[in-house]
Amino acid sequence: MTLDLFLQHLSNGISLGSLYALIAIGYTMVYGVLRLINFAHGDIFMMATYFAFFGIVTFRIPWFITFPLVLVLTAALGMTVEAVAYRPIREAPKISILISAIGASFFLENLTIVLFGGVPKPFPAPTLFTDVVQVGTVAIQKLTFYIPIVTVLSLLALLYLINKTKTGMAMRAVSMDQETARVMGININHTIAFTFGLGSFLAAVGGIMWGMKFPQIQPLMGVIPGLKCFIAAVIGGIGNIGGAVIGGFILGIGEIMLVAFLPNLTGYRDAFAFVLLILILLSKPTGILGEKTAEKV
Amino acid sequence: MSLLKLEDITMWFGGVAALKNFNLELTPGEIVGLIGPNGAGKTTVFNIITGVYKPSRGQVFFKDQEITGMRPDLITKAGIARTFQNIRLFKGLSVLENVLIANHLHLKANYLTAILKLPGYWKEERMMREKSLALLERVGLADQRDELASALPYGLQRRLEIARALATNPQLLLLDEPAAGMNPKEADDLTEFIKEIQQEFDLTIFLIEHHMDVVLNISQRIFVLDYGMTIAKGKPEEVQNNPRVIEAYLGVDENVED
Amino acid sequence: MAAQKNNYRILTIVSLLLLLVFIGFAENHLDLYIVRILNVCAIYAILGMSMNLINGFTGLFSLGHAGFMAVGAYTTALLTIPPAIKAQIFYLAPLIKPLDQMNLPFPVALFVGGLLAAVVGGLIAAPTLRLKGDYLAIATLGFAEIIRVVFTNTQTITNGALGLKGIPALTNLWWSFGAAAFTLVVLLSLINSSYGRALKAIREDEIAAESMGIHLAKHKTLSFVIGAFFAGIGGGLLGNLLGTIDPKMFSFTFTFNILLIIVLGGMGSFSGSIISAFIVTIANEYLRFLDESIKVGMRSVVFSALLMFVVLFYRHGLMGANEFSWERLFGNKVYQKTLGRWTKRPRKGGYAG
Repeated sequence: MTLDLFLQHLSNGISLGSLYALIAIGYTMVYGVLRLINFAHGDIFMMATYFAFFGIVTFRIPWFITFPLVLVLTAALGMTVEAVAYRPIREAPKISILISAIGASFFLENLTIVLFGGVPKPFPAPTLFTDVVQVGTVAIQKLTFYIPIVTVLSLLALLYLINKTKTGMAMRAVSMDQETARVMGININHTIAFTFGLGSFLAAVGGIMWGMKFPQIQPLMGVIPGLKCFIAAVIGGIGNIGGAVIGGFILGIGEIMLVAFLPNLTGYRDAFAFVLLILILLSKPTGILGEKTAEKV
Repeated sequence: MSLLKLEDITMWFGGVAALKNFNLELTPGEIVGLIGPNGAGKTTVFNIITGVYKPSRGQVFFKDQEITGMRPDLITKAGIARTFQNIRLFKGLSVLENVLIANHLHLKANYLTAILKLPGYWKEERMMREKSLALLERVGLADQRDELASALPYGLQRRLEIARALATNPQLLLLDEPAAGMNPKEADDLTEFIKEIQQEFDLTIFLIEHHMDVVLNISQRIFVLDYGMTIAKGKPEEVQNNPRVIEAYLGVDENVED
Repeated sequence: MAAQKNNYRILTIVSLLLLLVFIGFAENHLDLYIVRILNVCAIYAILGMSMNLINGFTGLFSLGHAGFMAVGAYTTALLTIPPAIKAQIFYLAPLIKPLDQMNLPFPVALFVGGLLAAVVGGLIAAPTLRLKGDYLAIATLGFAEIIRVVFTNTQTITNGALGLKGIPALTNLWWSFGAAAFTLVVLLSLINSSYGRALKAIREDEIAAESMGIHLAKHKTLSFVIGAFFAGIGGGLLGNLLGTIDPKMFSFTFTFNILLIIVLGGMGSFSGSIISAFIVTIANEYLRFLDESIKVGMRSVVFSALLMFVVLFYRHGLMGANEFSWERLFGNKVYQKTLGRWTKRPRKGGYAG
């Protein structure tokens, strides 16, 4: 393999990893406050791409207005899912909450099929992003560079929000100890809803860029990325935002490299994440950055 | 001969030592108390003995065999049974089932024999039932045998937990705050009950307790823990008058108890 | 009391006889479409019961069921398709020896399918046992996906994405209802034994169960292996009913449908799973008009909404953790208010409500 080709794979891996990271953060934040896999997260991500499609194609709103709208709408959707599927049974056995989460996920997918049809639609990517530039001998889409940049900027904003603002502090408090947080006067419901909103917002950022990179959208497009990003969050150490980012990159780069170096295994690409998950759960169940917690007996 | 021996046990959680250089030896037939303020590391001692935690350092011996960090079910099989601070009954199952489950470890029939309900299995099942019913009769829960464990009043739940532990045929019984949440009358009854079963089942008992009357009345020896360190040990009256104990524990006992 | 029990026993025997007569009648006289639905009902009952053993009785939230079914379905199909047809299906790459010439009787093939699924269940159980809750869920889901990806890529064994066609239609009502009855009897016997109590103890409180001397890994594996065995048999029956299978069929959606059945029927109730398998399957057919008259996919919207509705408002499902019994039926308030008025009340219902 030539260096050029390797660099091309690497840049692809980095931009795929960035997308995984953005979605993985949503899983990890929700897990932090609720100790729960938000099974519907992948579908919220999918909905974001549809919102963008309708904004630009159906309503002919310019992309620079559509995209911010999409972010807000998706955040609202995330909060709605929380209010309908999670909040009413927050105190129920975990197995019930998980089932409700799976139900919400299937509901969103099937509703999308009914409302928008099961046929893939082309994502209206502005050419500004999809133009190809020549780097040495290889042609790379501009997007490949924009994606990591947007990811880093979103991440910095998120870290600021979590570490420096009052809402962020409330989120951290709730994820550490819900009871104590309640006693300290933190509104648990608002904080959890906000966490869902924030996670969905980032999923929408990822979704828009995903749509531009893989410009075909369909109702089940969120399932596999959703599962993979949850796995990324687990690999990095669930509940830990830095971990989710690391896990996203490991998964994204690993996947691209697997296909690049071992083309015979291309068919197994989607199994890669699961194999990695099982290996990490066996060797270090708390993930790379996760902390060990002993169960109280 | 010692029944249980803990040698130089240290347990770290993150950067905190929950237990430091803890030593203990129990001789058969004793009742020994373990006291100390909340967070002193008492339950950690139990968790290390029963294999729930593996100590960072040190060794545990039961009947001169090392059991450090062994699987909890094997330790129970070896003859150590316990109750839990926050009552961990099988809440959705009946009182009888709770006790029957504790007999399972002695079952010889394999699962195929059990599914096919071969005579060998039936015989064992009948014996388990007889034994469990006798045990429930003994602890005064025979009438409630078909009730859900969660439907029992609090005091009876504690009693059922002890019965369940007894059903594993232990030689050493670990009781984690058996009198917690009981009024003085109930605590007195429980003290009598523990003394009786100790005789009847030929047990060695090691118990954690906050009710000072219970501990002082029942124990032949007492260990006092504070911040993971043994600050005193000895006969009840010795411990009672130890200034360090009074300072660390007895003086604030009633306020910190929950 | 004794007479009462005797009456109920007679009632049970009569019901079983009626069922046999019905199956005999249905098999020969009913519309093929209806027979097919009844077959699916029984197969889903098997799948539901087997998943309930793992999820409802042992409390392990496993989402790998589709993987076990796939193993059973492929094995049974490969062992029952005649060699001549195999040569036709595997046109991209030939089927490996000795599978290409093998042709076993249906029950043997089903049993082998169950056994292989059980082996896979044991293999999956080993590394995932230490995991709890959603970690277990995602890991088992991952395993099922891995099985599916592997089946898509092993062209010379599974025919890859093309799937298997021309599977002989050996599944009939005798086989499907017989297998369902067999599953019920075995699972009930297991759950009412000391081993079953140990499984329920694990569901109730793992730490307490372990400290009562229950070997967690051994019992969880037992649950996985037996559950996978029956899932494999269910898968085999389904493959030989439908005639074609492919890896896509065994995606997470399939597991979801079975999950819906056990949640609706009640986690921890085999009879609940059976009743709910019939309700869900028949409703699925009945609601076909939604897809036809409104829009494709509407049925699935209704089903996912139903699952959420059950979990949100009706968490214990139809049966909770109880099994069907005549006492329960006749003690039921609804029954007493309606039919009970005209029949002599058998006995004051101890289980009413």
